[in-house]
Amino acid sequence: MGKVLEKTKIRLAGIKMTIIQTLKKYKYPYLFILPFFLLFSVFQLFPMLWTVVISFSKWKGIGKPKSVGLDNYKLLFKDYMFWDAISNTLIYWVTGVIFILLLSIIIAAFLNYNRLKGRSFFKTVTFLPNVCAAIAMGIIFSMLFDENVGLVNEFLGLFGIESIGWLTSTKMSKIPVIILNIWRNTPWFTVIVLSGLLNIPREYYEAATVDGANVFQQFFRITLPSLYNILFFCFITLTVDSWKIFNEPFILKGPGTSNVSLFQYMYDTGFNLFKMGYASAIGCMLTFILLIVSLIQFRIMRKQDNI
Amino acid sequence: MTKKKLFSALVYIILGIIVFFCLCPIIWMCIISLKGPNESISGFNSLWISNPTLQNFKNVFNIIPVGTNLYNSFFTTILGTITTLFFCSLAGFAFAKYDFPGKRFLFYFVIATMLIPPEVGAVPLFIIMRKVRLINSLWSLIIPRIATAVGIFYMRQYIVDVPTEIMEASRIDGCGDFAIYSKIIVPIIKPALASWAALTIIARWNDFFWPLLYLRSTPKYTLMVSISLLPVSDGLSTPWPVIMAGTTFAIIPIIVVYLILQRFQKAGLSTGAVKG
Amino acid sequence: MKKRIFAVLMLVTLLTGVFVGCGDKSSEKDSTANKPTTGEEQKDTKKVFPAGKLVIYGYGQPQYLQQYFDAWLEKNRDIAPEVSIEIVQTEGASDSREKITMTYASGANEDLPDALYIDPVNLLDLGQGELLIDVADFVTPLKDKLVDGATNDATVGDKIYALPESVRPQVLFYNEKLFKEYDIDPSRMSTIEGYIEVGRELKEKSNGKVYLSYIDPGSKTWRYYGRRGLLPQANAKIWGEDGEVVIDTDSGAKLAFDALDIMYSEGLLLKTAIFEPALYDAVKDGQIATFYIGAFWDEFLRKNVTETAGDWKVLSAPAFENVGVAGAPVSSYFAIVNKPGGKYAELCQKLWYDFHFDAQAREDWVNAMEEQNAPYANPITKELLADDFWKEPSKFYGGQSFREIEGSALENGATNLVVTPQDVEADNIISIELEKYVAGDQTMDEAIKNMGKNLRNKIGKAELIK
Repeated sequence: MGKVLEKTKIRLAGIKMTIIQTLKKYKYPYLFILPFFLLFSVFQLFPMLWTVVISFSKWKGIGKPKSVGLDNYKLLFKDYMFWDAISNTLIYWVTGVIFILLLSIIIAAFLNYNRLKGRSFFKTVTFLPNVCAAIAMGIIFSMLFDENVGLVNEFLGLFGIESIGWLTSTKMSKIPVIILNIWRNTPWFTVIVLSGLLNIPREYYEAATVDGANVFQQFFRITLPSLYNILFFCFITLTVDSWKIFNEPFILKGPGTSNVSLFQYMYDTGFNLFKMGYASAIGCMLTFILLIVSLIQFRIMRKQDNI
Repeated sequence: MTKKKLFSALVYIILGIIVFFCLCPIIWMCIISLKGPNESISGFNSLWISNPTLQNFKNVFNIIPVGTNLYNSFFTTILGTITTLFFCSLAGFAFAKYDFPGKRFLFYFVIATMLIPPEVGAVPLFIIMRKVRLINSLWSLIIPRIATAVGIFYMRQYIVDVPTEIMEASRIDGCGDFAIYSKIIVPIIKPALASWAALTIIARWNDFFWPLLYLRSTPKYTLMVSISLLPVSDGLSTPWPVIMAGTTFAIIPIIVVYLILQRFQKAGLSTGAVKG
Repeated sequence: MKKRIFAVLMLVTLLTGVFVGCGDKSSEKDSTANKPTTGEEQKDTKKVFPAGKLVIYGYGQPQYLQQYFDAWLEKNRDIAPEVSIEIVQTEGASDSREKITMTYASGANEDLPDALYIDPVNLLDLGQGELLIDVADFVTPLKDKLVDGATNDATVGDKIYALPESVRPQVLFYNEKLFKEYDIDPSRMSTIEGYIEVGRELKEKSNGKVYLSYIDPGSKTWRYYGRRGLLPQANAKIWGEDGEVVIDTDSGAKLAFDALDIMYSEGLLLKTAIFEPALYDAVKDGQIATFYIGAFWDEFLRKNVTETAGDWKVLSAPAFENVGVAGAPVSSYFAIVNKPGGKYAELCQKLWYDFHFDAQAREDWVNAMEEQNAPYANPITKELLADDFWKEPSKFYGGQSFREIEGSALENGATNLVVTPQDVEADNIISIELEKYVAGDQTMDEAIKNMGKNLRNKIGKAELIK
């Protein structure tokens, strides 16, 4: 008996030594990443755990939460508004990823064109959509897309197209949201992609031109592969942002649940209807969906072995 | 030769179209902010200003304490950006260029945290803020975001592409780790820093969800919060041109700052040379 | 080595900043006074209130009230020598409620406001959560001096959780110029049936250019046409005797919804969002003839369509022929927060009392508001209302006295729909069905059916207080 105790003690001491040694050896990297983990635990982890706990109860924000077990989740699965929100957000995600990524690569490539005159002008102007506050631009877009007097319909009218009820019809109301989303967020990703492009040495291109490669070949053989890491970053960030989309559908609200996003639904439930428990459940579902989606992406990317 | 010219022309045309789409809504907003209250805002009529007026702007200044709010916005934005640049690039550097136990797991963890929208836990977050005595303080907008997952992710991806030889060389020369960071890495990643700074500044400036939650009195509000309280609701009947004037005004400082940063970015290009 | 120190210093400065830079909170330095927080009448004793800041949460444009309070402080230096009053603007009643709830939940009692302006639904929740002071003792003796039903929404059993601030009726705004142009007699609009007839005639005579009114494609249609307008007028019910859902079977509800259906399906209502520029432009173009909405709309008309001044007149809202009551009034309230350690409960009561019973001060303030084109509501005290000041003609209404009409329109008001804690969510569910109806996705009958179905699925039963 004493021997076992002795052995365990020695073992523990050994582990302790290794830990201390590791910490000493790698103290710099650990120190560098420490602030993030500290802040994360306090300001994100704890609230998240708390939210999970609340999601199993009914709470109005006043008084004590009342435990209801899985009721919120059961209600959620039967809730048509929840499913509408998911399908809307799904559409926002797909259109967002396709259009924003494509556009930002194209625009960044153009901005990087070595013979471009007035580069700063173009860079500044193309970035402006992201600079303007979402609320302001949302209001502008809602006026532009107004069914009766919006400029968009008047413009289409010039071509003989009848007025479309952009924000008043359940079928079309997602479109202004998507357009606003692309309009506002493409510049952000363009900047990121551009910073990656700047990292590619000009000599590569010069060498390729000497070898007889044309612009497109250079693009696909040099540019894209070098951008791999940055593009991966964009893809993940875009996915997370799309699933968290809130400002755009909030300001350009359409009839019923036609363009409500998942996050918006959660916010409404929590802060307008004061159903905190239910809102927390929605939040947990949102996080869950994001986790699954990201895991799938990582699996795909991992095959290319770059992390 | 003509092939190149044709290509050039194409580039300019396409960029021109893009610029047009970017600017349209913004210019329209500025036009409306200059219109008198009697003028039409619908259809093609909205494009003509019969009597341009600055009265709308004056009205905005009457409704909200612009000076104080402006200061608050600047404070949170600038301080927030500096801190986040520093800590994110530091952490990104660690993940990119060091090999330490648990690195892979910890990095995945960082990315995983991006999936949790912090807004989900707004109520408990508020309680924590209260415990740390940061409610109604501008620091509540800076501290939690000193190191963001997105920032670390971005910096790491960027720094990974920096050749390690330079690091090795300086280590042999006897540089300490922090010195490597500040003397070697930082100059090289200037374009990334400048880009990220621009993006962060704008995000912080436009932020209104958190300020609305944490700030409790008008002198503490940032500019965006005050402006977002302008539009119409049951008891508020601010005319639209005034609201537009408010939002236009909120954009001007940020454009100025962005232009300044642009120059910095340009300068950084030549010094951030990475010789292949 | 030097850089290391620098990094550590940075971290330290930031951390100290946390504890230093956060100090300014808006509360008083001497928060130890312990005044009783029950509502006791203190009209005549000259009690001096301790120095500090009285914080009130308000939405809309509370800065105009600030002017009143500042003037009041000037006049009342003897009882409140070093008190300052600050009005904090919030996004709306829900926002005020949310701020208070969060502050309370986190135990930050000094950060609670002393009072707030609020609407009936949020009032109910806050009151039941013990966050508001019961003012029954203070206000019950004053009840017969106030307009009828002023305290209804705030009354739960024998407790009254807030002081009435304003009671604004539903009225009918009509563009007299258009009526003269198409030679239509406005008095035909005294009934809903007549109102619809007028709409048809306007459309015909103007070849479709002029609409009877507007319809909002969003949540405002339910709010203004439904909850505050047609449904109370038709004696409709959303909830039955035991709180079960009856909106889809109630005959009053059907009457109300059908009226709206007729107006919309016959093209008498222009589909455009309320409060937005497109609506105002349509008004300026002479496309909209009437507004059947709460009296608060007056302020919006005056501010946004100034060129049409003089064209408008006001009438009491039309009533259903068989029912006879005109739209339900909207009440807003001034509630005093149950703030532990708060010292201004009685001061708030005094403020409220003077605002509603001091005729001169009120008139002075209203005149100042008129000059600044700012909003104000009619008084709720019968005494003040009787004064000629409140019958003064308004330029905007071509010489008619808006205030007078607002006062008289209160007399034939319908009873508001019963307020339950489930109402916020119910409003949301009902509105969604109406929005789909306006968007053309379903007929009114389908909408009503879905309302019933979804209310049962998501809420089940309402708790009827009282």
